Amino acid sequence: MKRYTKWILPAAAVMLGLLMIFPLYTLVAGSLRSETNVFDGSLIPKDWLFDNYRIAVEQSGIVRSIGNSLIVSGTVTVVAMLFHSMAGYALARFRFPGQQVIFSWMLSTLMVPFAVIMLPLYLIVRELGMLNSYAGLIVPALFNAYGIFLFRQFYREFPKELEEAAYMEGLSLARTYFSIALPLSGPIIVPLTIGFFIANWNSYIWPLIITQDDRLWVIQVQLANLVGSGHFTPWNILLAAAVLAAIPTFILFFMAQRHLVEGIKMSGIK
Amino acid sequence: MKRGKQAILLLLASLLLVLSACGGNSSSPSGQNGGASPSGENGGEGGSGGKSGSGERIQLTFWDFHTEAEQEFFERMVAEYNAIQDRVEIVYSTSSQSDYTTAKLPIAFTGGNGPDIFMISPGDFMKFANAGWMLDLTPYFPEGALEDFLPASIEAVTVDGKILALPYELELLALYYNEEMLKNAGVDVPRTWDELLDAARKLSTDTVAGLILPADKEPYFNFVWYPFLWQNGGNVLSEDGKTSLFNTPEVAEALDFWGTFFREGLSPTKLQQHPAEIDHIGSGTAAMQIVGTWAINRLEQMFGDMPINVAPIPYPADGKPATDAGGWKFAVNANSKYPEEAAKFIMWVFAEDPERALEWATEIKFAYSPRQSVVEAGKEIYNKGLRKVFTEQIYDTAIPEPRYPAQVVDIVGDALQEVMFGRDAAEAAEDAHQKLTKALQELQ
Amino acid sequence: MKASRWSARKRQEWATAYAFLLPDTVGLFVFVFLPILYAFYVSLHRWNAFSPRAFIGLDNYAALLADDRWWHSLGRTFLFSAVYVPLLFVLALGAAVMVNALGKKTANAVRTMILMPFAITSVISAIIGVFLLDPRTGLINQLFRQIGWPAQQFLGSPSQALYCIVAVLLWINLGYNMVIFLASIKEIPRDYYEAANLDGASGWQAFRYITFPLLRGTSTFILIVTLIGSFQVLDQIMVMTKGGPVNSTQVSAYYIYKVAFEQMNMGYSSALAFALFIIIFVLSLVQLKLLTRE
Repeated sequence: MKRYTKWILPAAAVMLGLLMIFPLYTLVAGSLRSETNVFDGSLIPKDWLFDNYRIAVEQSGIVRSIGNSLIVSGTVTVVAMLFHSMAGYALARFRFPGQQVIFSWMLSTLMVPFAVIMLPLYLIVRELGMLNSYAGLIVPALFNAYGIFLFRQFYREFPKELEEAAYMEGLSLARTYFSIALPLSGPIIVPLTIGFFIANWNSYIWPLIITQDDRLWVIQVQLANLVGSGHFTPWNILLAAAVLAAIPTFILFFMAQRHLVEGIKMSGIK
Repeated sequence: MKRGKQAILLLLASLLLVLSACGGNSSSPSGQNGGASPSGENGGEGGSGGKSGSGERIQLTFWDFHTEAEQEFFERMVAEYNAIQDRVEIVYSTSSQSDYTTAKLPIAFTGGNGPDIFMISPGDFMKFANAGWMLDLTPYFPEGALEDFLPASIEAVTVDGKILALPYELELLALYYNEEMLKNAGVDVPRTWDELLDAARKLSTDTVAGLILPADKEPYFNFVWYPFLWQNGGNVLSEDGKTSLFNTPEVAEALDFWGTFFREGLSPTKLQQHPAEIDHIGSGTAAMQIVGTWAINRLEQMFGDMPINVAPIPYPADGKPATDAGGWKFAVNANSKYPEEAAKFIMWVFAEDPERALEWATEIKFAYSPRQSVVEAGKEIYNKGLRKVFTEQIYDTAIPEPRYPAQVVDIVGDALQEVMFGRDAAEAAEDAHQKLTKALQELQ
Repeated sequence: MKASRWSARKRQEWATAYAFLLPDTVGLFVFVFLPILYAFYVSLHRWNAFSPRAFIGLDNYAALLADDRWWHSLGRTFLFSAVYVPLLFVLALGAAVMVNALGKKTANAVRTMILMPFAITSVISAIIGVFLLDPRTGLINQLFRQIGWPAQQFLGSPSQALYCIVAVLLWINLGYNMVIFLASIKEIPRDYYEAANLDGASGWQAFRYITFPLLRGTSTFILIVTLIGSFQVLDQIMVMTKGGPVNSTQVSAYYIYKVAFEQMNMGYSSALAFALFIIIFVLSLVQLKLLTRE
């Protein structure tokens, strides 16, 4: 009996995984088809045009835009992680006047659709002289209450013993955070890093309106530009470019897997 | 401990470094950095190019949405113009069409940062005209050029006596059909509404759609329906655009006709590719498709061996033939710092030497020019292959795409969709009429 | 002695707290809050592309109360959220529990697979959705035909389109939320489960009495954030249905976008956005109160 049930779970899990991946398969398959066959509905591509990838790289300036995306997403992710974990920690651990108000205020900033603050933000960024620059791409993207909320959540459930021990040793609060809490925040930093990086990688509308110079194009803007003037779109090239654009994020996934720790080791304090 | 602090300091330092490096690149109010450079360089901020230092050229920004061959054409035009004079330098950039119309242009203009030179579609025309964003081009037409244009095409861009944009293409709609499929089903080329419906019924199979029509709400959606409306004698608004004419039986009939194709499953309610792409009929998954002149070049290039022919859009037995003439227009930002220079450029491209206009209309894509001299000059091309059908049978029945406000387009689109999914046409028309009247009042 | 140490600690606590909060507070203020304030200011004006700007107080808000389209869009938004949020919650939690119980290698593989859709941009995922759901050539309908089910219209049907969007969003977001749950599940000390095992508890009981209660904070977080996000879905609708057919997928976020950028009516769209903001705010508050009740 037990051996039988031992098989069901992994089997079901793998099936779920395959189901989730299947649409991605159609993406890759589509990228290998000829331009007129992209929508023919067949399961296996009739043609295997790896050349589409070469064309995608050549025609679409994709290398540069991937570079731009790496710079922007990378910087935003790293800096935002730092800022948000600090803010989340403060909200979770410290007691100070205005705590609840600040948290509610921060949370409320999530609730307005971007379409509405898009234009005022554009005006503000212009006033700051950050139009059409990396700063304009990076700085506004740093501030998102989602990360703060999640870090706060995580730190609330964080076991207090280690920090209390540190306090007994005379460490300042800031030191405690940097030396103890932060390094052990792996379980939440990993998914958040993935989340932030991808959200910024896929960010589209903001980079579109903030940059005019096509040397500053990030990958999504570049991809959208491959969609033709409504009269003809080389779908197969577009899909190939989309696959290429997704590769860095997949690499990130694989790297992140190694760091998803199995929980906080408690053995240290005992 | 120490390592943590060091890491953070390092991080902050690198961040500062990055930001300061970028700060150097960002457009500063003092104008462009660096001189002449071909398209793609720093597009420049502010309402309109900027003057860089003495002795250097005036920079004008030209934002476009065209891609591939069409983009290449404009890039060439820009390069040529930059080369033949040294007062002005045009800086060209392009983005995808939907972003162009829905995000880039509106945001830039609303923020006071619109480009000097841009493209406008009939759908957006009134928006921009009412906001005062387009320059009056009337004084900039070269001698005798204005008379060369079809009166209807100039009227379509005139508001209060001012010509606000330069038309340069007329794209007409027609019925493309697969000759072989028709023959095999024993169907003649449809000429009337009844024949079209009949043909679609006979040609529809599990794998082949009878007739491809747009199904998603957008300006193109209405664009393809208007011929049916006009053929039947109906119209959306009055001449002056102030009253709704939507509650007439002619309108209801046109709505109903459209809806029938979808209700009976002859036209798919969801398409993978945009309905303006000829690939539907080119790949053999559809027997008929209503689409425009732009499809001919692609048809010849990609689907040359498909037996596809074209005919005027069928009209009701008691109506008259009609088709829609769309097409983009060239415009200058009314708030540009150098409106005259910008206007000169666009006139040079399309209102002077017919060569360029001809190249656009006959080689880069296939469209009709609103200029009679160009149509004359291109007589040969206009009679080649499927183009001949357009020239001989369709051109004279073309009515320019109306320039309704977005609210009107939306209400008409709603009525069309409701009928497509089963609502009674007369009811939908009446309902839309009420909404139109209300919307028009608010716009007054 | 003790008194001064106490207030010294307090001062250090306050100072550190404010210092930690400074970058984000400033940033959020400049780049999010100011635009929101500005948008509110705009909402009090008649501000569109064709009339002169004028202060009209709360007129825009009065107008939206009478706007059929607004109410319709709210209805679609609520329906969307009512279906999407619980489904995402249950599926993400279930997936997390399942993956947690797998052996290391399998867990890694499955986790990666479930997470991969998240890497695809919203536009491409929408395109894939259109592709698979096509009524004639889509692979899903092909499958249906194979097993004898009737082909569906999916995005071409006013009654099905909204649920298709839900499905696509679930596909994209399942993995990420699962990983967040996983992180929290792993924070639960193993000893609890060992103890429960010794007492003879079944898997389900362990879940019900140990896992689930201890995930309360994370569950709250996910529910609130997902709800807030579900009210702002835009990209997929723009690509897959454009609000149709017959406005069945015209959720409030899309309506706001249309009013702002197709009709160029900034004043009214800002008012709509604010109304939406208030609704989201109230809902989140209610959720928070309900879920954090001890």
